[in-house]
Amino acid sequence: MEFMESQVEEVIRCMKCGNCRETCPVFLITQDESQVARGKIRLIKAVIDRQLELTDRFQDKIYNCLNCNACVTTCPCGIEVDELITAARAGMVNAGKPLPGAQARVKANVVVHMNPFGEPREERGSWLPAALQTPRLSPNLYHAGCAVSYATSRTGKALIRLLQAIDFDFTSMGSQERCCADPYFRMGEQTLGRELVEQNIADYKRLGVETIFTSCAGCLKAFKKHYGDTFRVLHVTQLFASLLKEKKLVLAKSLPKKIVYFDGCDIGRHSNVYEEPREVLQAIPGATIVDFPANRENGRCCGGPLMPSHPDLAKRIAAERIAEAKVMGVDMIAVACPTCLVNLKEGSRLVEGAPEIHDVIALVHRLAGVK
Amino acid sequence: MQKTKLGDQIKAIVGQDYFFDSYEDRLCYSYDAAIEEAMPEWVAMPGSVEEIARLMTLANTEGFPVYPRGAGTGLSGGSVPLKGGLVMVLTRLNRIREINQEDLYAIVETGVITSALHEQVEALGLLYPPDPASMKVTTMGGNVAENAGGLRGLKYGVTKDYVLALQVVTPAGQVVRVGSKCVKSVSGYDLTHLYVGSEGTLGIITEITVKLVPAPEHKESMMAIFDDMNMAAKTVADIIKSGVIPATLEFMDNTSINAIEDFKKIGLPRDAQAILLLETDGVKAAAQHEAEKIIAVCKANQARDVKSAATEQEKLQIWEARRTCFSALARVRPNTILEDATVPRSKIPEMVRGVTDIANKYGIQIGNFGHAGDGNLHPTILTDLRNTEEKQRVQKAIDEIFALALSLGGTLTGEHGIGSAKAKYLENEFGPEGLAVMRAIKTALDPNNILNPGKIFVADTAIA
Ligand SMILES: Cc1cc2nc3c(=O)[nH]c(=O)nc-3n(C[C@H](O)[C@H](O)[C@H](O)COP(=O)(O)OP(=O)(O)OC[C@H]3O[C@@H](n4cnc5c(N)ncnc54)[C@H](O)[C@@H]3O)c2cc1C
Repeated sequence: MEFMESQVEEVIRCMKCGNCRETCPVFLITQDESQVARGKIRLIKAVIDRQLELTDRFQDKIYNCLNCNACVTTCPCGIEVDELITAARAGMVNAGKPLPGAQARVKANVVVHMNPFGEPREERGSWLPAALQTPRLSPNLYHAGCAVSYATSRTGKALIRLLQAIDFDFTSMGSQERCCADPYFRMGEQTLGRELVEQNIADYKRLGVETIFTSCAGCLKAFKKHYGDTFRVLHVTQLFASLLKEKKLVLAKSLPKKIVYFDGCDIGRHSNVYEEPREVLQAIPGATIVDFPANRENGRCCGGPLMPSHPDLAKRIAAERIAEAKVMGVDMIAVACPTCLVNLKEGSRLVEGAPEIHDVIALVHRLAGVK
Repeated sequence: MQKTKLGDQIKAIVGQDYFFDSYEDRLCYSYDAAIEEAMPEWVAMPGSVEEIARLMTLANTEGFPVYPRGAGTGLSGGSVPLKGGLVMVLTRLNRIREINQEDLYAIVETGVITSALHEQVEALGLLYPPDPASMKVTTMGGNVAENAGGLRGLKYGVTKDYVLALQVVTPAGQVVRVGSKCVKSVSGYDLTHLYVGSEGTLGIITEITVKLVPAPEHKESMMAIFDDMNMAAKTVADIIKSGVIPATLEFMDNTSINAIEDFKKIGLPRDAQAILLLETDGVKAAAQHEAEKIIAVCKANQARDVKSAATEQEKLQIWEARRTCFSALARVRPNTILEDATVPRSKIPEMVRGVTDIANKYGIQIGNFGHAGDGNLHPTILTDLRNTEEKQRVQKAIDEIFALALSLGGTLTGEHGIGSAKAKYLENEFGPEGLAVMRAIKTALDPNNILNPGKIFVADTAIA
């Protein structure tokens, strides 16, 4: 398996202090050293040193990672663990090792249906109003993403009604929208990922797109990481924050509740968007906005990325977040990522008296009073 | 008995979910935070004292080695299974059993994370002072077994000063209680303090009773900046001489400052040759008065500047940053070898100068930082062990650092333990007679040498 020279150096530089044990959500549940960055890095080193083959067990451990980057923030040695894990996955793919079951399913779904869930391609845009079903020239492109298109389209509908109500000019790829390629990159299918990125970029350029805004934090991360700097990329909450500032958007209704904002990893640590979602929430009349004890770059993952492969673990991690919120006595958890939304809702079933969970976008729509 | 059969028996005791014998899993229990590694044959995570006792009985009967392990952050190879056998991971025993505010003690299981105990007692206005830099991940059992120190060691002492009583499983599988939760107890031998710092060689610690103290009402945190490293070192000795015992007195040289700044970016002075991080605490007026005295000593020693932390946030940042110092040094070169030879505090200036001389003599890079107020520096060698020629120079430098510390009336290790790497120097500190007494204790308590063999004593010589 091939690694880049710089990655080999990273592996050697891990001084095994074990600081990653403090924050790795998977480790905190399993308590198993082979699940924490230090252990995974040691396993990768064994492969580099040719002491270990690309066994199924190695593969399983390397895929049992949320890519949440908590360890990257805690690592005093400055090791880019996320990059290493992805490189190891890509290495296995390149060496011809078949993907683990869950990832193989996701891949097949993206290849055939252009979404990780295997939902029919032709239904992708069915939730959109007719005017947005087909793309047209515009500097602003709304990318809904697979999760919003198929799983949480209420969020998407709310957003579109809102933007139409304030006469914001934008287009959408509509039923032709494709996956952002994040699942490919995450599972180690770098070549497929890059091809898909190229296709998307070509489409966007044809439409004269300058700014892409998305309601999906995973897509946000992918656009920022893999699409160069051709486009300005925004999360919808960033768009909201500036519209609020310009008074183009006003939250009229009050919501006298205690709300905690949940820093998702894709929007937070991976994309560096921490403040705008909070600014949006702070604009809600009557609401009190609070933070988790571990917030912003120290925020803890919801567990969502493990939903396809390790659903129980994903749910247990989510339940811990819910329990933390419950202890804080909040009425509501506000999220800015469809994966967080879905998985936290799953986890909340395990916690009695769990706070409500809402997407910031849907909240804004409700409170802006747009029909 | 055959190995697979033994594995099956271990598995039967802890259950399938807590038993590992694949190469991949074993590899992840072959190391701690030191350099040396070795593969275990099995890994087990017992969930109760009873399971631990059964595992020990099995090991003692069948004669396979057992290596206790907490978080694996040890810096002397303490949990590394040098002779194979079983790595016994103790993190599942992680309940805080009692915090007693009337009698000021807490009872915890071995796997409780140190800072988790801190949080709980601090919420009650109490303090459990030992605070190793690694406290956010270390286990209480690991702290006791290594007699861990910390940043507050100067004024408050180290782990041994807080352990009142223990529950221990002996190598033969017997469960014994030693010590007492009374503040005073002289019943029989002080076995508690025999187990404290025993590095997992005498028994498996399962439950720990620690003393708590009231939390100080006020803290003053300062950073003194020096253009001359030797003046910073002299300041350490002068502060102690002035009759003030700060809660914390940490030293950092230029290499350490820059490594931390690369990671945390909190505005440490990158051009300073050394800084001292200081904290006084107690009744507000007293803490402030002591701080003033310290500032005067720093100034008299040509400190370029002494900054006081204005906010709680600033204080936290400084100590957070300090805690990551060692790992942050790993940014500089591929390998970091950290020593913790300790000297009487008045000898800190000589030690700092001596380490610099050794680094120059062998042409190697050493970052120096540590609990200077305790006389406990952490000269950290930054190297690339793939370079065999450099490795030899590093080895010679290490030998000389230990010789220097001992010649200054110091000790080989202030808090990280002898483990395997330093075993060969132990006789230099205590002579053959001293070592013989230690061996006799080991033989009496672990006649079959099944607990952590290869540690403290040079491999194979533990049993005469
Ligand atoms: C970045 C960094 C900073 C550090 N800073 C400090 C510091 O400031 N002060 C300091 O003193 N140390 C420090 N250390 C060293 C280390 O963290 C301590 O020695 C700590 O006490 C080890 O705890 P652990 O749970 O990781 O134990 P492990 O490393 O797992 O084990 C340590 C030893 O204890 C034995 N052991 C563990 N549990 C038991 C048990 N229940 N019964 C019997 N034996 C047992 C093991 O066999 C081994 O010999 C630091 C380490 C790192 C990596």
